[in-house]
Amino acid sequence: MTARPHLYALGAIVVLGLLAAFGVRDAVVLDLVFTLLLYAVLGQSWNWISGYAGNISFGHAIFFGCGAYASALCVTHGLTPWLAIPAGALAAAALALVTGFPTLGLRGHYFSIATIAVAALVETFARTTPWLGKANGFELPIASGWAALQFPQKGPYVVLALALFAAVQLATIALERSRLGYYLRALRANHAAAASVGIDERRCKLIAFAWSATMASAAGVLYAQYTLFIDPPSTLALAISIDIALIGVVGGIGTLWGPAAGALVYVVLAKAVALRFGGAGKGYDLVIYGAIICLIAALRPYGIVGTIVDAIRRRRGSIAVGPGAAAETPA
Amino acid sequence: MDTFAQLLVGGLLTGLVFALVAVGLTLVYGVMDVVNFAHGEFLMLSMYAALGLALIGIGPLLGLPLVAIALFLFGIVVYRVFIRRLLAGPSEATVFGTFGLLVLLQGAAQATLTSDFQSVPNPPLQGTIHLGPIALSQATLVEGIGALVLTASLFAFVEYTETGRAMRALAEDRVAATLMGIDVQRVNGLAFGIGAACVGAAGSLLMLSYPVYPTAGAPFALTAFVVVALGGFGSIQGALVGALLVGLLEVFGGFYLAPELKMVPVYVAYLAVVLLRPQGLLGRR
Amino acid sequence: MSSLLEVRGLAKRFGSVRALDGVDLDVAEGSLTGLIGPNGAGKSTAFACIAGAEKPSAGSVRFRGREIAGTAYHRVAALGIGRTYQLVQTFADMTVLEAVTTGALLRRARLRDAIAHAQEILAFVGLAEKRYRLGRALTVADKKRLEVARALATEPTLLLLDEVMAGLTPAECGAAVELLRRILARGVTVLMVEHVMEVLMPIAEHVVVIAAGKTIFSGTAAGAVRDAGVIEAYLGSPLEHGEIAGHAP
Ligand SMILES: Nc1ncnc2c1ncn2[C@@H]1O[C@H](COP(=O)(O)OP(=O)(O)OP(=O)(O)O)[C@@H](O)[C@H]1O
Ligand SMILES: [Mg+2]
Repeated sequence: MTARPHLYALGAIVVLGLLAAFGVRDAVVLDLVFTLLLYAVLGQSWNWISGYAGNISFGHAIFFGCGAYASALCVTHGLTPWLAIPAGALAAAALALVTGFPTLGLRGHYFSIATIAVAALVETFARTTPWLGKANGFELPIASGWAALQFPQKGPYVVLALALFAAVQLATIALERSRLGYYLRALRANHAAAASVGIDERRCKLIAFAWSATMASAAGVLYAQYTLFIDPPSTLALAISIDIALIGVVGGIGTLWGPAAGALVYVVLAKAVALRFGGAGKGYDLVIYGAIICLIAALRPYGIVGTIVDAIRRRRGSIAVGPGAAAETPA
Repeated sequence: MDTFAQLLVGGLLTGLVFALVAVGLTLVYGVMDVVNFAHGEFLMLSMYAALGLALIGIGPLLGLPLVAIALFLFGIVVYRVFIRRLLAGPSEATVFGTFGLLVLLQGAAQATLTSDFQSVPNPPLQGTIHLGPIALSQATLVEGIGALVLTASLFAFVEYTETGRAMRALAEDRVAATLMGIDVQRVNGLAFGIGAACVGAAGSLLMLSYPVYPTAGAPFALTAFVVVALGGFGSIQGALVGALLVGLLEVFGGFYLAPELKMVPVYVAYLAVVLLRPQGLLGRR
Repeated sequence: MSSLLEVRGLAKRFGSVRALDGVDLDVAEGSLTGLIGPNGAGKSTAFACIAGAEKPSAGSVRFRGREIAGTAYHRVAALGIGRTYQLVQTFADMTVLEAVTTGALLRRARLRDAIAHAQEILAFVGLAEKRYRLGRALTVADKKRLEVARALATEPTLLLLDEVMAGLTPAECGAAVELLRRILARGVTVLMVEHVMEVLMPIAEHVVVIAAGKTIFSGTAAGAVRDAGVIEAYLGSPLEHGEIAGHAP
C-alpha cells in the first residue's frame, strides 16, 4: 500500500542520474543514459494504456512523433521550443481521443487495429505534407541555452530526461493510488462487474490514453531537441512503435517499474545487436526482438517485474503488493 | 461515366483481392477469438514460397495447392507450439504474442532474403481484357475469381462439414462445445491451419501481379484487419462484403483525393463503423 | 407507499429467443421483494435489463419516478441501483479490500475516504478479517458476500440480489438471512431472486412470480404458493414450504 519504497528507489535513480550528468564526461555513456531514460518514459507511456488499461497499442510512435514534430515546427518558425510541450501534448491527446473514442468502450481488438491504422495514416500524412517536411523531415537550427532548449554538452539533456522520467514515475505512483488506477484495474479484471459499480469504461480509458499520449509527446520534444534532426522513420515509423511495445512487454505490463526494466534490457540488447550485426541490424534485430516478445507472451505474460511481484505475493500468501501486478495466468 | 465504371470495376476487383487475404483471418478469429497480427507475414511467407516454386519452374497457379498445403502444416505447427500457450494466458497475450510473431517473421525474411522487391519471372496472364470501355488486367481478374471460389468453398466447409460444424459450435459457445465433447485443441489447430492455407492460396495468386519483399504482407494484413472488423469479426460473408467496400473506398479515394491518401477513407470508414455499429456490417450480437 | 422501482411490459429478445415477454413488477421503497420463477423464466435477464447490463427490447423501467430503460450500465449504478451476479463476477486479482474500495470510489473521490468506507462495509458484512485475501482465493460463500459488499459500497438505494444463497450450507444461509435483515435496516431496498421459498417467506413482504418471461403473479408469498397459475408454472408440483424449483445450473 505504501508508496515509500518506490519513492526511495526513484530518489536513488535521480541521484545516480545527476551524478552521471555532472560527473561523467564520456559522451557515449551520457548518450546511453539519455536514451535509457527516454525509452523508460516511452515504455511507461505505453504501459498506461496497454498495461494498466489493458488495451494494446501498436502505434505509439505517433504520439512521440507529435512532440518531435511540434518541437521542429516551433523552432523552425522562430518560436520557443518550450511551446512544443503543450502543443505536442494537445496534438497527441487529440489523436488519442480520435483513435480511442470509437474503440475504447468495446470488447475485442478494435482498439489495437485502430492504433495500427491511425499510425499508418499519420505517417503517410507526414510523408506527403509539405509543411511537415515530407519525407525529408526537419533539421533544427543550432542554438544554445535553456530558452532554446539546446545545449552543447549532453549533461543538461540527461538532467531534462531525468526530470521527465521522475515526473512520469511519480504520476504512475499517483495513478496506482487513485480512483482512475483502481478503476482501470477493475476494468481489466472484469469489465461487467466494473460497470456494475458505476465505472465508465470509455471515459476511464480515454483519460488514461490521453495522459499516455501526453507523456510520449513530451519525450518526443526532448528527442527532437537532442538529435536536432527528425524525419518519419526516426519518429513515426512502425519500427519505433515496435520498440516501445517491446519495452513495455519485456518489463512487465501494468507494473510501476516494468518499463524502466524493459528499457534497460532494450538498450543493452540494441547495443549488442548493433555491435554484432552493424548499425542497421539487417533484420536480425527484429528476429531477436520478435523472439523475445513471443517468448514472454507464451511463457511469462507479465514480464520481468510481473514475475518478481508474483513471487513476492506467493511468499506473503496472496497479499497484494501493489496494483496492476496481476501475475497468475488463469488456467 | 467511363471513368466511373472503370473505377467501380477496379474497386470491386481490388476488394476481391482483399477478401482473399481476409477470409483466413476471420475464420481464425471466429473460432478462437484471436486476431492473428502476424497474418500479413503468413501472406509474405506464402508469396516467397510461390516465388521459390516459380524459380524452379512451377508457376503460381500450378504451385497454389502446394503452397496452401505447406501453409496449412505451418499453421498447425504455429498453433501447437505457440498460439495454444497464448490462449492459456491473459487476453493481452494473444495480442502482443502474435505481434511478436509478426516482428520475428519480418526480421527473418529481411535477414535471409534481403529487402529487395522480387517478382515471378515471366508471369502468366499479363494481358488486358477489354469489356467495352473497361480495361481489366487478366491477372487481377483471375485473383478476383480465385477470391470468390475461396470464399465460397470456405463458407461451404464451415456450413456443411462435420469439422465446420464443430468450428461453429466453438465460435458460438466454447463451454457448451467442450461439454458436447468437441476437442477444442484439435478444432482450433485445424482452424488455424485452414486459415493459413487460405493465406497460402492468396499469396500464390497475389504473385501474379505483386512483387514480394519482407514487409509485403503488412499493407494487405492491415486492410484485412479493417475488412474483418467492418464485416463483423468471424463472419465469412461479412469479410467478403467488407472487402468489396474497402476496395471501392480505396480505389475511389485514390482517384478523387490523391494516391497517397487512398487509405484515408478506408480508416475513416473503419472508425465510423466501429463507432456506430461495433458488431460490424454483417456481424451478430 | 410509493414504488421505488416500476417495471412495465419489459421485453428482451436474444435473436429468436424471447427471454422476457412482458414483465411487470413494483418494488416499494424500504421493502424486500422476492422475484421467483422456474429455471430459465427470465429472472436474471430481468435483473440485467433493470440494471442496464442489457438493453431491453421494449417496456419501461422507472426508478424513483424516472425512466431508465436503455440507460448505460454504469450510469444506472450511479443513479443508485447495485447488483450481484448469479455467477459471481469477482475482480480476481484484487484483494477483498481493494474490490470493495473500488465500489466505494463511486461516491468518494479520495482514496483514503473510500478505503475507510470499504473497511466499514467489510466489518458490516463480516469479511473484515479476510480483507487482504485475493478475490479468487475465497470460498463461494465469501465470494457472494464480497459481491454484496462491493455493491453496498456504492451506497445503492435499490439492491438487486441474484440467488445469493444458492450453493450455501444451511448455516451460511442463516448468516446470509441475518445479513439481509441488517441491510434492510440500513434503509436499502432489496429485490432478490431466490429459489427456496422457506428463505423468502419470512422476510419478503411481497413476491413477484415470472414464468416464460411473463409476470404471472404478484402478491404475498403465502398467496403465491396457493395460486393456481403459479402452481401450474411449476409443473403442478405441490408447493408447501419446501423448495419450489430445482437449483439453477
Ligand atoms: N445472452 C443470452 N443469449 C441468449 N439467450 C439468453 C441469454 N441470456 C439468457 N438467455 C435465455 O433467456 C432465458 C432466460 O434466462 P435467465 O437466465 O434470465 O433465466 P433465470 O430465470 O435467471 O433462470 P435460472 O433460474 O436458471 O437462473 C433462458 O431461456 C436463457 O437461455
Ligand atoms: Mg438466473
